[in-house]
Amino acid sequence: MPRRRSTLALAISAAVAASLALSACGSGGGGARTEGGKTVITFWQQKFEDYQQAWFKKQVDAFNASQDKVKVDYQVQPADTWAQKLKAAQAAGKAPDVQTTSYGNIPAAVTNGELAELDGLLPASAFDDIKDNVKSFVTFNGKRYAYPMLVEPSTVLYYRTDLAAAAGLDPKNPPKSWDELVQWSTKLTTPKVKGMTIASAAPDLAWSSWGLQYNACGHLPIADDWSKANATDPCYEKLLQLYKTLYQGGLMPKTPKVGYADGASYGQGEVAMMAGGSWVVGQLKAEFPNMISKTAVAPFPSIDGDQTKTTATLGGWTLTVDAKSKAKQQAAQFVQWLLAGDPAIMADFFKTSGFSKYTVRTSVDQALAGNPDASSDPFMKTISTKVVPYGKQEPAYPYDIALAFGTAVESAMKGTASIPDALKKADEKINDVIKKQSLAGTQPRR
Amino acid sequence: MALLDSNRAAASPKAPGAVPRRVGARRQDNLTAYLMIAPMVVLLGVFVMWPLAYSVYLSTFEISFYKAPKFVGAQFYKYVLESADFWHSILIGLSYALLVVPTGIVIALLLASFIKTLSKRVAAFMKVTVYLPAVVSTVIASVLFTFMYQDAGVVNWFLSLINHAPIAWLNSPQWALPAIAVPGIWLGFGITTLILLAALLDIPDSYYESAMLDGANFFQRLRYITIPLLKNVLLYLFVTGFTLAIQMLDLPLIMTNGGPTGATTTPNFYIFNSFRELTPYATSYSLTASLLLFVVLGAISIVIFRLIRSDKAVDG
Repeated sequence: MPRRRSTLALAISAAVAASLALSACGSGGGGARTEGGKTVITFWQQKFEDYQQAWFKKQVDAFNASQDKVKVDYQVQPADTWAQKLKAAQAAGKAPDVQTTSYGNIPAAVTNGELAELDGLLPASAFDDIKDNVKSFVTFNGKRYAYPMLVEPSTVLYYRTDLAAAAGLDPKNPPKSWDELVQWSTKLTTPKVKGMTIASAAPDLAWSSWGLQYNACGHLPIADDWSKANATDPCYEKLLQLYKTLYQGGLMPKTPKVGYADGASYGQGEVAMMAGGSWVVGQLKAEFPNMISKTAVAPFPSIDGDQTKTTATLGGWTLTVDAKSKAKQQAAQFVQWLLAGDPAIMADFFKTSGFSKYTVRTSVDQALAGNPDASSDPFMKTISTKVVPYGKQEPAYPYDIALAFGTAVESAMKGTASIPDALKKADEKINDVIKKQSLAGTQPRR
Repeated sequence: MALLDSNRAAASPKAPGAVPRRVGARRQDNLTAYLMIAPMVVLLGVFVMWPLAYSVYLSTFEISFYKAPKFVGAQFYKYVLESADFWHSILIGLSYALLVVPTGIVIALLLASFIKTLSKRVAAFMKVTVYLPAVVSTVIASVLFTFMYQDAGVVNWFLSLINHAPIAWLNSPQWALPAIAVPGIWLGFGITTLILLAALLDIPDSYYESAMLDGANFFQRLRYITIPLLKNVLLYLFVTGFTLAIQMLDLPLIMTNGGPTGATTTPNFYIFNSFRELTPYATSYSLTASLLLFVVLGAISIVIFRLIRSDKAVDG
């Protein structure tokens, strides 16, 4: 997922970093160099949950200590200045040798020639270990450009079992359809606690509603060959109606303190249910452990109650090697060591994440099979058996298209346009993006 | 003067023998003049003119850092000018400036007039108090006001006292812009007040005294003495205030993320957002939009200069 942290915290770091970025574009730049006989490669990691930074640091140190040919210079970059800093580094010819890239950003980067092809750099066996459904996420025209690290579904329903029971609802039988979701939200809303929370701002809605867009219509608001928009399909009206009912009915906070990716409102007991990514499990375990016993997860309700329909997209992160890197082989060596090497390394990662993210390699699954924490985790079991199998890949089209649809949902929620008008506007906007960015026929072929 | 003398001498046909020497002197004078402005010209050239010219050149390409840039001519100018979102952001910037600048100046003028009437010690205290918001970082102010605007925040608590339902200040399209304008005014009025106070103190008291003898009331004094004599300062405050306010980025970035439904997407925020996309299209588009914003800002400044004509103060 591209937008992952508390909006406020991010915005603060953004404002500070943005002002610094102007004067310090070159600082912290990448580019391989030689130092004391070692090849130094730069690794940029987008800032995620705190435990991830600690984990990456530990592993980079271990890699550096494990051999004496390559030294990894590890740098953490804030999420919402990532694009600016990366572009500045690319312009200066100092792009990092290795970087974290989300599945959604791979296609555009490949089209622009930014990523090195990994087939020649990593042994074929490394790719054989990747699960079949994830293989396609990193493959374009039959070539591999990224090594996947994890997948995480974007939308899961979290709910408070104690509040449900108190409101006379059966905690063992969570809402399955959108109608039931509205009923639950209504019953759970009290003067102090809102029944539900879900994204309400266009930048969040843009990506967090992908799963529900699939759920409502079975497709995204664009033709498969990216030749024209498809946002006026009447099935989308039901989706916008759901958001509108939750927002205008006062069933969710109207001024949320945090963005979609942050589960703090739920953790602090301000809402009884939450639509959130699987990563919130990790946040609850780390920051709000007393909520764990009162929380259950379920697949997000479906338009008609059919829980085998997609409700979430599978986002996630990979490591990529820069096409202009002067030390591609050494960069690939690090990627292989970290992501494709000893399964115990990645097993450690998933354990550290509180099993809030999901494996992409068969061997890591085997390494975790014997771990009692993994097999007994109630959240992991529900998410991996009831959500992940029906999850779809994130779309590869430009963010502008996602934002156009997100804006339509927000307009409907906040009453600035009627639902059909909002969708019509999104449709026009998407067609405009297709025309100006010459997208027709450029959809990635796996 | 030396330059004028040498010109006159050079023009005189009666002093043929003196010409070469005086031309030499003129050249030397000119050289000194050029040398003195050279550092500024070089700095402006290197840091302003050349980057600007190069940006205009670059804006005719779809820039890629990995592939050869593709020449597209004025295509991106067309795209930006055609974009309803771009014009919408300019409109938002103007609305924000209209909310912030005149209100800020009126408040500042009232405060400055009030401080002027105070004793020295109280005035010193008031000046510090009024200036305090100016040293608060925008980031901190944004966070502070975001908390005040929450559903259960202090602003809605005041509303509850008059039995009004809470308003989603930052999340309702009609309230969001005024809501972020309040911290905008709060952050800016300190320095405006001090500048106006200095200008007010510059107006000789005798003007007011004679006006009062003639029976002018407060508003007449304000209309015929204070405002005309503050004209240049007000012009400065309006022009700098407007150009700064239209370019506001931090408040919408932190408080509303440009939302809801684009209600607080100021021009700079719009450009910043379009730059976040990692495609070559986005890079070129945001570059072109910045250049066009530069044109728009220049045009607005010209309009303000035209509206308030700058004069030399009567008093000198």
